[in-house]
Amino acid sequence: MDSTKQFSSLLENSTLSRVERMRLLPMRRMTNRSRGEHLAGKGGTSTEFNDYRDYSAGDDMRYVDWNIFSRLNRPYVKQYRHEEEMHVMILIDASASMRFGDKFEKARQLAACFAVMGLMNMEKVSLFACQHAGQTPQILSPCTGRMSIKRVLSFLENLPAGGDFPIDMAVEAVLKQHRGRGVCVLLSDFLTFGAMERPMNQLFSAGLEVFGIQILCGLELNPELTGDLRFVDSETGMTLDVSSVGDLIGFYHEHLHGLQEHLAGLCRQRSGRFVCLDSGLPLETLVFDTLKRKGWVQ
Amino acid sequence: MSLPGFSALINAWWFLLLVPLIIFYFLKLQRPRMEIPSLALWRQVITDQRVNSPFQKFKRNLLLLLQVLLLCALILGAMQPYLSRGTEQAQYLPVLIDNSASMAALDGPGGKSRLDEAKEKVSQLIDDLLADQRLCLISINSTARKLTDFTDNKRLLKEALSRLEVSQVPSRLEDGLRLAQAMSRVQQIDTVVLISDGNVPQEIDFELPFKLNFQKLTSGGANVGIVDFNARRSRTGWDVFARIEGTLKAEGSSGGPPTAKTMCEYELLQNGNSIKQESVSIEGGKAERLVFKVSTTIAISLELRIKPDSFDSLPADNVAYLELPAPRPLTVYCPRQMETYRNALANIPDVNLYPGTENEPKTVDLKFAEGPISLGPQSSVVMNVGFVPEDLSSLVELVAGESEIIDWRSTSPLLQHVQLLDIQIADDPKLAKGVAERDFELAGYEILAQSRSGPLILERDLSGRLDYQLLFHTDRSSLVYRVGFPILVQNLTQIAAQRAHLLDAKAQATGVLPIQKITPDTEVQISGPNGQRETATSDSNGLLSGVGAQSVGGYEITGSGDPIKIGVSLISSSETGLRVAETLTFPEVSISAATTALKTDQPLWHWFAVAGLVLLLVEWWYFQKRPFGAPG
Repeated sequence: MDSTKQFSSLLENSTLSRVERMRLLPMRRMTNRSRGEHLAGKGGTSTEFNDYRDYSAGDDMRYVDWNIFSRLNRPYVKQYRHEEEMHVMILIDASASMRFGDKFEKARQLAACFAVMGLMNMEKVSLFACQHAGQTPQILSPCTGRMSIKRVLSFLENLPAGGDFPIDMAVEAVLKQHRGRGVCVLLSDFLTFGAMERPMNQLFSAGLEVFGIQILCGLELNPELTGDLRFVDSETGMTLDVSSVGDLIGFYHEHLHGLQEHLAGLCRQRSGRFVCLDSGLPLETLVFDTLKRKGWVQ
Repeated sequence: MSLPGFSALINAWWFLLLVPLIIFYFLKLQRPRMEIPSLALWRQVITDQRVNSPFQKFKRNLLLLLQVLLLCALILGAMQPYLSRGTEQAQYLPVLIDNSASMAALDGPGGKSRLDEAKEKVSQLIDDLLADQRLCLISINSTARKLTDFTDNKRLLKEALSRLEVSQVPSRLEDGLRLAQAMSRVQQIDTVVLISDGNVPQEIDFELPFKLNFQKLTSGGANVGIVDFNARRSRTGWDVFARIEGTLKAEGSSGGPPTAKTMCEYELLQNGNSIKQESVSIEGGKAERLVFKVSTTIAISLELRIKPDSFDSLPADNVAYLELPAPRPLTVYCPRQMETYRNALANIPDVNLYPGTENEPKTVDLKFAEGPISLGPQSSVVMNVGFVPEDLSSLVELVAGESEIIDWRSTSPLLQHVQLLDIQIADDPKLAKGVAERDFELAGYEILAQSRSGPLILERDLSGRLDYQLLFHTDRSSLVYRVGFPILVQNLTQIAAQRAHLLDAKAQATGVLPIQKITPDTEVQISGPNGQRETATSDSNGLLSGVGAQSVGGYEITGSGDPIKIGVSLISSSETGLRVAETLTFPEVSISAATTALKTDQPLWHWFAVAGLVLLLVEWWYFQKRPFGAPG
């Protein structure tokens, strides 16, 4: 990538321009009360007509439809859809496990895509990166508008990876600092010893629709190993002796599939979404094909 | 089936090697370290119940398991396992292998001989030999010969077995059994294996001190052969008789050769020239007698050959040889003072009596003597009259007195048709104190007639010389006045003529060449059929004896004067008939042929060796199938 001509090292200019024209498609309307570009279910002050209702005392006279009043001789108030602001919270798992393959690179690129989409649609976007357990996550405080794109991309470009922050604890840590309803994009490999039910519940309770994106590299998706090995955990340094690894690959796939089913179930039950992406695939394929087909973005 | 046993159980100590093997396996097990993003999934995999199933656990340490199995296979092989067949394990096992003439019988055109079949059986025995077992191979034909000592050296046993060939002689089982009995005095022998085609004498005079396992081989094919070939002197020459027989399958018998039924072409050769050639039809079990008349005034060699037009399983009996001496009168030396004998001899035709008008030859066929000092020519048959020979002087002495013959052996050729009852004898033999009949036997004499006080007529056959000893003088007895006297002299001339082959001749059977009279203390060369060569030395009397003739054919003795040619033939009705004895009868027990193959303990070590090799290959493949632990 020729950095001198590129706006960001994370996204090519062509990709960035395409992403700028896209927007997030949350399944539920979880928005903030402040005005934004997302139509709320309740009446609002936008220009988009929603319904009529009988006039009641105290209603703003400006919303009375005088044409109908002249014909029916009864006052009706025009209702408009309320456009509210949606908070896009992006949580990047920046622990050591994400350094394998292109996982962290893809996580940052995807985070950039989601952030750009949010910013270009006047959403409030905040970014969190969790590295070391017990430490405060790196935070990009909520920002909005296209003017913040450079800031967001710069934050992501300078984001290091390493540490042992498990994703379940990272969610809890992040939620302590986050305010606002909207969408939570979780970019992680979700390979944690902890349970994901509690963080999912907390996200749901916080009014965040979960976009769970599991990013796995080839070693995790299709490990072609054999013989007797001593596995070393990249985050904790723990070891595990495994004999005849080749004979256990089948079981590994079963457990991986089970984990994905479990995570998808957790997200679905909380009106969220889940997808597993191969870090080896090009970003364009992931964003413009996979996510678009699944209806995550438009 | 019983559990396997082990011949070398001491090698089980090697199982202790399993301990260091397992220790070193785990100590030396260097698992390659591999960093992975997270152990979360792999820990779940490892704790999966299916992964921890016994089968999966086994798979996890497959390399160790293969090494343990390989070591176990090698140690078990070294422990010499064997599968017991229910028989007592014989540590020393003599194997008698019949290699008589009938063992050369083929089972069909181009088939294998009985000896080949026997060799296969013995070879199997050798292959199944356990570590603590020793075999001794003994060949039996007309005599027994030890091919090997008790040994477990399979190479030695197989070499001895491969050298074993058929001897064209009839079988004689007793010698082999006696040899085994002699060996049992040194080694503990419980069982003796006999491998034979069953063509052995059915009744055997032998007390079995061990178990005899009689392994009978399958019978050969049909056979036709010459079973007799002899000649009788006629006025013009010789009347020659031959008998040809074919095999006969006994009714109701499952074994035995098939009945022969064939046209047989025969040819008689005189000194190598064919003098008669005809055909004869042979029916199995029936003998066809052939008669030929041969006129000759010189010694000749006859050879009879037969050629059956169908399959003949035994070729050795298709030829027979007969040596006919030149016809001549019997030469007898009788001193002039033995007038009664000379008178008796004068009436016998074809007798040249010496001393007479002609010069005495150096040797005569019959000699009479009446004193211990030998006078006149040498003879193979001697009649000593009226004195006690020197070797008997310590046993008996002649005193004056009256005696009479109270008992005599009328079946003896000398005393046939001779009435000795009521003969008065003026000499009385007195036995020395403590001497009994047994002492005469020990001195080599056989008593033919005796008085109340001692023996009167003795016979001794020693070194090819036949001596008759009349301890009384016939002139001092009434025998000379009896009709029995000329008969006695006549019998004596018959015996002498027979010994000189002047009356009849018989084909010489295989086994040992007849005793030959040649120059004393001379080394001669004997060449036989199939290029056999042997040297032998005559004794001080010029007798050449004990020369083996195991093969049918012509033998020639050279090195002492003119070459002597002798034809040797099988001439055995039992061998030609391939008669099969299903049961061997011993004095107290009968042994039936075993219907099943000899049960030997089956060694299993080679299976463990093969298993070890397979395990080694599997381990090698498993180890090499992909670089250890490298990602694929």
